[in-house]
Amino acid sequence: MHEVSIIQSVIEIVTDKAIENKLTKVNKVSLKIGELSGVMAECLNFAFYICIVDTMLEGSTLEIEKVQAVAECTDCKHRFKIDHFNKLCPICNKFCLSIISGYELYVNTIEGD
Amino acid sequence: MSEIKIVMNILQRNDEITLINKKLLDDKGIYVINLMSAPGSGKTSLLELIIAKLKNDINIVVIEGDIYTTKDAMRIEAQGVPVVQINTGGACHLDADMIKNALKTLPLDKTDLLVIENVGNLVCPAEFEIGEDIKVCVLSTTEGNDKPLKYPLMFEKSGVIILNKLDLIEFTDFDKKEFYKDIKSLNANVKTFETSCVKNQGIDEICSWLMKKIQDKKIKVN
Repeated sequence: MHEVSIIQSVIEIVTDKAIENKLTKVNKVSLKIGELSGVMAECLNFAFYICIVDTMLEGSTLEIEKVQAVAECTDCKHRFKIDHFNKLCPICNKFCLSIISGYELYVNTIEGD
Repeated sequence: MSEIKIVMNILQRNDEITLINKKLLDDKGIYVINLMSAPGSGKTSLLELIIAKLKNDINIVVIEGDIYTTKDAMRIEAQGVPVVQINTGGACHLDADMIKNALKTLPLDKTDLLVIENVGNLVCPAEFEIGEDIKVCVLSTTEGNDKPLKYPLMFEKSGVIILNKLDLIEFTDFDKKEFYKDIKSLNANVKTFETSCVKNQGIDEICSWLMKKIQDKKIKVN
C-alpha cells in the first residue's frame, strides 16, 4: 500500500477538522483499518511520526484499531469471520460477497485542546 | 481536552473523483474496463487483438497508464483508435484524478467502450477505484499458478480473470486445477477466459462477452 500518502491524507483531514472545531493542538488521532484493506499498521506508524513534524499534529499519538473482516450469508443471514481465502458460510457453505466489514480505511476520532 | 468524532474515509478524495468519472461515463452509456496485471502478462497484446476484432462494430477509446514510456500507446494508436497516454512518472498505479484529466481529451460522445490499461503491477492498482464498471485481471501461464494467493486483493476484486499465454503452458509447471481452485476461493463468482495471443485463441469469446456488456450498459442508460 501507500502508507506515506495515506498518512498525508490523514494529516489533511485531521487539520481541516481540528480547525473547524477550533482546536489549537491535536493530541491523539484514531484510525480504523480493516483486515482486508492491505494497509500495514507498522508502516502507518512509521510514516505518521515522520510526516507530522511541523504540522498541527506534531506531538500527537496515533491509535490504530484493526477491524475484523466479517460477511453476512445472503441465504441464512448468519454473520461470520472471513479472510481473503475463505468466504464460505460455516452453516450453509455458500460463498458470500456481502462483506459487512474488513475494507475500512478511515479516521475515526481525534482528541485535542 | 475534547474528543471529536470524524469517521471520514482516508481515500475520500479519490472516491469523490471516482464518482464524478462514473457519472460522466454512465451518462454517456460507455462501458469501462480497468485492465490490470503484472508487467508482461499480455494486457496490450490482448487489447490489440480485441480492438482489431471489434473496431468496425463499435467505437473504442483507450487510456494507457505507464510509468515512463509511450510504447503501449503507440501500439494502440497503430490500431486506429483514440488513445491517451498517462505517464505516472514513478507512481505504481492510476488514480481517479489522472483518469478525470485524461477523459477531457477523449471523444466520449462517440464512444461505446473505454479500456483503461493500468500500470503493470499486481498490488496497488487493485486498491484504487477509478470509475470502472469492471476490473479485468490478466495472468499468464509463465507467471505461475501461485499468484492469486500471493496477490489476493487483485484477484478478489476482479470480475473477470484472463489466463493468457496458454500456448506456453506445456513449457511451465502451471497447474490449472490449482489455479481455478484458488481463484474460486477468493472470488467464487468470477468469470474466466483462457487465451493465447500468438495463436489468436479465446479472443472471440472475450469479444462476445464484451459486446453483451456494452449493450447491457446502453440499455441501462436509455
